[in-house]
Amino acid sequence: MFKLILQNLRRRPTRALVSVVAVALGVVLLLVSLGLSYGQLMDTAQRTKGIGGDFILQPSDASLFFALNSGNLPVKVQRVIEEVEGVGAVTPILAKFLGDKFHLVFGIDPESFAGVNRDLNFVAGKKFSGPREVIIDTIYANSKQLSVGDSIQLLGHQFTVAGVFRQGTGARVLLPLSTLQELNGTPDKATMFFIRAKEGSSLEQVYDALQGRFENYRITKAAELQAMIMDSTPVFKQFVSAMVFISVTISFLIILLAMYSTITERTREIGILKALGASRTYIIQLILNESLLICVAGVVLGFGLTYVAIQAIFSAFPSIPVTITLFWRVASVVVALAGGLLGALYPAIKASQMDPVRALSYE
Amino acid sequence: MNKKRITRKRVVVSVDDLQMVYQVGKVEVPALRGVDFTVQEGEFVAVTGPSGCGKSTLLHLIGGLMRPTGGRILIDGVDISSVSDVKRTEIRRRMMGFVFQSYNLLPTLTAQENIELAKQIQGTGHHEEGGAREILQLLGLEEKMGHTPSELSGGEQQRVAIARAVISRPSILLADEPTGSLDSDNSRMVLDMLQGLNEMYGQTIVIITHDSEAASAADRTIEMRDGKVRKQGQNVLYAMEEKHL
Repeated sequence: MFKLILQNLRRRPTRALVSVVAVALGVVLLLVSLGLSYGQLMDTAQRTKGIGGDFILQPSDASLFFALNSGNLPVKVQRVIEEVEGVGAVTPILAKFLGDKFHLVFGIDPESFAGVNRDLNFVAGKKFSGPREVIIDTIYANSKQLSVGDSIQLLGHQFTVAGVFRQGTGARVLLPLSTLQELNGTPDKATMFFIRAKEGSSLEQVYDALQGRFENYRITKAAELQAMIMDSTPVFKQFVSAMVFISVTISFLIILLAMYSTITERTREIGILKALGASRTYIIQLILNESLLICVAGVVLGFGLTYVAIQAIFSAFPSIPVTITLFWRVASVVVALAGGLLGALYPAIKASQMDPVRALSYE
Repeated sequence: MNKKRITRKRVVVSVDDLQMVYQVGKVEVPALRGVDFTVQEGEFVAVTGPSGCGKSTLLHLIGGLMRPTGGRILIDGVDISSVSDVKRTEIRRRMMGFVFQSYNLLPTLTAQENIELAKQIQGTGHHEEGGAREILQLLGLEEKMGHTPSELSGGEQQRVAIARAVISRPSILLADEPTGSLDSDNSRMVLDMLQGLNEMYGQTIVIITHDSEAASAADRTIEMRDGKVRKQGQNVLYAMEEKHL
């Protein structure tokens, strides 16, 4: 049977190739789109976690996507938080989304930030010491070809790069809190507070204490950040479902079309097989295995093309994170195979039900 | 020349008041109007008659490729006109071998692969790879076993088709105009082959033919006209030999 399948594919190489490429494109679409969106979300979650601390305090209606929030929390709330039992350190952060550059900048207070963050690791330079200095992460530095001492334009002003830190802490660009407050028109305001519990204290107890004191605020545990970002992302689940649906549909339609035309062309061959005594199951297996082979080839090609696409994205946009989890790799295989097999099912059943005499007289 | 000893054996095909009516739109077209005959094990029977007399319909019905609208067909005692499609397929797989006028080899496979595929479908094991090779050697097609049908002459293709039909030792070999597309030399070769199978291995054969030479190769001829058996009888040569036995 395998020989017959291979020879049939070899006999119609263009159609086989087009089918394989179409299945591959379904795989690429699924992996790249989800890789980009997951990458963005996970990168956001990891960099937020990278700021350090155990909790984030925000206004009750705030989003974990800091770009969506305004800075309307008074910085003096910091003192109230510090008074809560079990709190060790608090730092205010003002987030500002730069639409023209399509990235976030954080305004930080270096002193209190150091109390919460323990991972800021400079690869060049040092933290800022003046109001017109910024520090940038390695990805931003590489993508913009910037190094210590260079100037950059932010919010209509010139800044000097004071240091470059290893990526993974907050935003790609950090600047003094007071400077950003001034440029943002929100003096003495912050978007959120990052809070570190005292060493040895119970995180649950500190969380309860914070909840008790700030019952009208949103308090997020850093440990739950990643899951919460995934869950709270607007229409993310719908987006994932849509991508899966599109990918399944591509495989389904292409294989349906390819197999339907193949059984029409091979009507006489199916008649011969039936005359030889091939059962319905044999004919169904023949068509399904042929489509399975196309799908497997499509998946392999799809993985290869996905790798090429990701490399192309990285070289064009080095700061864009792409994360393709093992789950989605496996899911893309399942989606392509399921779509293909479903698409082949109708032609396979139709072929198995052909009248052998009519099939043998088909020209 | 027939050299086989004729010993009457069991009936392998029994056709009893067989009727077949095709529905063409709203019109009923009768193809068989009550056909009766039997074929014994080891017999070589030719069914002759003009075009449209129902010969091919008869062959397709005996082969279980269609279901009759009336009457019965017993194959080895099993009434294939009343069994399910699955059972008919199983009987066809186990007991029938087909040879067609247009050879009907699978165009993408080589001669050897065509034969091996038949063995695989018929469940006689594709592990016995020698089978296909052996039979092609016997047919003098050893050098052509790696050739696809388009690389073979008509005569060669028909010989491969016969090899494919008998590779699993079917109870009955059904041939529909096996020499209809061949020149006289190749026709003779194919008929010799069929006679050889019948004489050497006792292969039961039913052929449909227009060709009087092909019909004369058989032990018995059934002549059909207008969907009925007009007459049937043993061929002269065969009858003479039988008489002398």
